[in-house]
Amino acid sequence: MQPDFAILRLDLLFEVISGIIALMVTYYATKAYRLTGQKKLSDLSTGFLVLSVGMFGRVIGTWYFLQLGEEGTGLIFSIVTIAYGASRIMAYILFVISTRPTHTHVEQESQNANGIGMMLLATFLVDPNLEIVAILVLVIVVLQAILNYMSTRSKFALYVLIGFFLLLLSHIWMAGVIANPGLYLLSQGAQLLAFLSLMVMLIKAGRD
Amino acid sequence: MSRKRAYRSKMRILADMMRAIQSEAEEGAGPTKILYAANLSHDRLKQYLDELLEKKLIVEEDPESTNRVYFLTEKGREFLREFIRIERFSEAFGIDI
Repeated sequence: MQPDFAILRLDLLFEVISGIIALMVTYYATKAYRLTGQKKLSDLSTGFLVLSVGMFGRVIGTWYFLQLGEEGTGLIFSIVTIAYGASRIMAYILFVISTRPTHTHVEQESQNANGIGMMLLATFLVDPNLEIVAILVLVIVVLQAILNYMSTRSKFALYVLIGFFLLLLSHIWMAGVIANPGLYLLSQGAQLLAFLSLMVMLIKAGRD
Repeated sequence: MSRKRAYRSKMRILADMMRAIQSEAEEGAGPTKILYAANLSHDRLKQYLDELLEKKLIVEEDPESTNRVYFLTEKGREFLREFIRIERFSEAFGIDI
């Protein structure tokens, strides 16, 4: 069991770093929202906040599990896993909403209503396999990030695209963990790199 | 492939006006220069210039003179720097501000 616990602890460290970076993005997005009043920035901020809360919740839950050992912790672990998966899907849905391409005002309002309705329905439909749903939602986020990069050709948009793509990759690898447990750490590593890419974007965008 | 901007927020209009003033550096910018650079109507220009003056983001060289010239204040320069950071951040996620 010892090597598994070592991997789990490394994974928790990755998760804490990613959670801190997610909080940094939340802070920047909130600041931007306060200055501009752009609703999409508020959605983006909420998305990263939900993501970081899910990450820290998972770290605390898993740590609790490690401290207690194996007695009576199955339920706690299941709750933590489901809550973590659900929080990530909620966050990704908010990313889809906040990063969707801009249309004219009237078009946008009708699309918002349809899009949000569909997305909320999707969260109720999913449960058995949260990882697959996360992948599907993230595919939309990545496609939107590609469109944004193609239209702006900005290096900041490229960092976000790399970040979301690595996040998608981490979920794809995570979905394959049952067949190949070695993918677990690879998946966590990809997630960490995804958040590091977002942190590089924050640092570069913050420079004068 | 270039993205069409749906509409400009008030904050972007103010930033565009301040950029026009900043581009003139020490010479300062007159109303016509700001009007063209920020793509504004005359009424809107007056309204936003008053707002920038009230918030002390710009100053008028000599309010008594008929030839009006505006300069950025230190507060205005800091606001513009902050706006540019936020603009880059928003652009990275494809969000128009």
